[in-house]
Amino acid sequence: MKAPSKLYFYLVISAVLLVIIAVLSLNTGVYDFGENSRFRALWQFIKGDSGLSLSDKYVIWDVRAARIIMAILIGSMLSVSGTSLQGLFKNPLATGDLIGLTSGATLLAAIAIVLGGHFKEYLPEAVQFSLVGIAAFIGSFLSMMLVYRISTSGGKTNVVMMLLTGVAITAIGFSITGFLIYISKDEQLRDLTFWNLGSLAAATWTKNIILAIVAIIAYIILLPKGKALNAMMLGEKDAQHLGINVERLKKQIIITVALMVGTCVAFSGTIGFVGLIVPYILRLLFKSNYVFILPLSAMCGSILLLTADTFSRSIVAPSELPIGILTALMGGPIFIAILVKFKKSL
Amino acid sequence: MKKFILAASVLVAVYSCKKAETGAKENTTEAISEAPKTNNKIVTLNGGITEIVAALGHEKEIVGTDVTSTYPASLKATAKDLGHMRSMTIEPIMAVNPTLILASDKDINPELMGKIKSSGIQTEVFKQEYTVEGTKKLIEQVAKAIGNTDYQKLNDKIDADLKQVQPIAKKPKVLFIYARGNMLMVSGKNTPMASLITLAGGENAVTDFEDFKPLTPEAVVKANPDVLFFFETGLQGAGGNEGALKMPGVSQTNAGKNKKIIAMDGGLVSGFGPRVGEAAVGLNKLLIESTK
Repeated sequence: MKAPSKLYFYLVISAVLLVIIAVLSLNTGVYDFGENSRFRALWQFIKGDSGLSLSDKYVIWDVRAARIIMAILIGSMLSVSGTSLQGLFKNPLATGDLIGLTSGATLLAAIAIVLGGHFKEYLPEAVQFSLVGIAAFIGSFLSMMLVYRISTSGGKTNVVMMLLTGVAITAIGFSITGFLIYISKDEQLRDLTFWNLGSLAAATWTKNIILAIVAIIAYIILLPKGKALNAMMLGEKDAQHLGINVERLKKQIIITVALMVGTCVAFSGTIGFVGLIVPYILRLLFKSNYVFILPLSAMCGSILLLTADTFSRSIVAPSELPIGILTALMGGPIFIAILVKFKKSL
Repeated sequence: MKKFILAASVLVAVYSCKKAETGAKENTTEAISEAPKTNNKIVTLNGGITEIVAALGHEKEIVGTDVTSTYPASLKATAKDLGHMRSMTIEPIMAVNPTLILASDKDINPELMGKIKSSGIQTEVFKQEYTVEGTKKLIEQVAKAIGNTDYQKLNDKIDADLKQVQPIAKKPKVLFIYARGNMLMVSGKNTPMASLITLAGGENAVTDFEDFKPLTPEAVVKANPDVLFFFETGLQGAGGNEGALKMPGVSQTNAGKNKKIIAMDGGLVSGFGPRVGEAAVGLNKLLIESTK
């Protein structure tokens, strides 16, 4: 098979897999559709059958479907942001959560929630979300700039500096967010579990529309960048000679990644390691060919997060595990694997 | 310019979806003010409210409760435990097919509330005040919501119970310690415990902050309580009386020196439901004993 058709083939396979998982996930949960079997209820819903009770409809559409779409969007964006960052820093350890973008986003989102709490009632819901979303974007953008400035000089990134800057930003973010949660009394600030381990329980269609818009904008910019990122692997000077506008590419990646990470954090808290796990697995299959791993990471991120979320809400039903526990469980060993593999080059 | 147009179109798109949603929401609020019907399937998300519904004789209608609903114990067999308000999600609530959801405005998670409201299930959120008057008002409102007008007897029972509270000549200073695992919190002003301590003829040892704050040795010494007050489960978890006396700062207080430690059932103390009078009498007896 030629490369483009091969990529196409893999994309179709993963899309089919994603649809299968989504249907299974739609049928997973504690709600009982009574004599109406789950698949039949789903079929009735698709047909727009009026015989479906309001509660059945609500659970299928506003609870489960909304959550599934949110998992798909957020998983995809986190994964693509990880892949793009790794291309930018030319290092498999660069992900939004490890270099402190998520903490920066959390911190500003938390500040926006606490300060915005004073005039929140007068704003329409979409604007409230946007306010927190915009703040989270600014937070992740500032963290990104800081990390890039501190760790990169002359086109070379010092990985140790990059990770340590991330540690520092995370520490600062954690302490201030913790303090805000401590002083904010009336539940205006979601608790620490949400900000540190993430949750998709509060999915709504409004949030999904905002997430989808961000994803579309980011993907139009990022997904065609596979060749450029491949060229970047040779070093910035060589990429420049190949006709890649390196500075512009960097700016685009920095801004779109900050936008994606910020929006995801604002809506689902910190779901770590997705941007590490997916590109790592794809690299095992396709080496570092970004023409393949960029679009595929968009698909596989969705598969990973949707699977994790379906587990998180069914393992300990009727309550649920914070999803960050599951992604960290998968991501921790992979992090160590990367460290061992690249021991000499770090 | 391009960017501006993009941003504007995004906002318009989002806002138009929003409009459609609020339309749906308004319908649910209208549904709430409909006449109550009996033979409901009720989910109660607060210990006090659960007790009120049960005391009004509607225990059979309760199909799901939160973790604080420990009384009556017979509910364990008939109603599903939906877990803690803070980590609860919508689907388990929908799974018990309720026709009516009753909740208190305290400690409710706003996102879950949004989901409950948009589910279209009739929902009543009551303002809860930790006073006798507040409890009576709550009883009246809950009774109306479940279609029962025979609630006066509950209020009369509270009054009758409260008459048995005996005044204590020298009001003991009581410090309530909320112990969960290694977390120790003390209750300040405007908490159910502070309110109950006052009803029972004592005074709350903490006067300089509201709500719950982590226990610090200096704050304990400064408050210098005559009596330490625990939930039974909390005291067990902290290692009984021995463990309580070893808590930071306690040995320097009157309560520590005289080993005055009392404990009551958590649901009874914090519920502020129909048993608020009983709770006050119970605490009053314990305080009288501990001041002898």
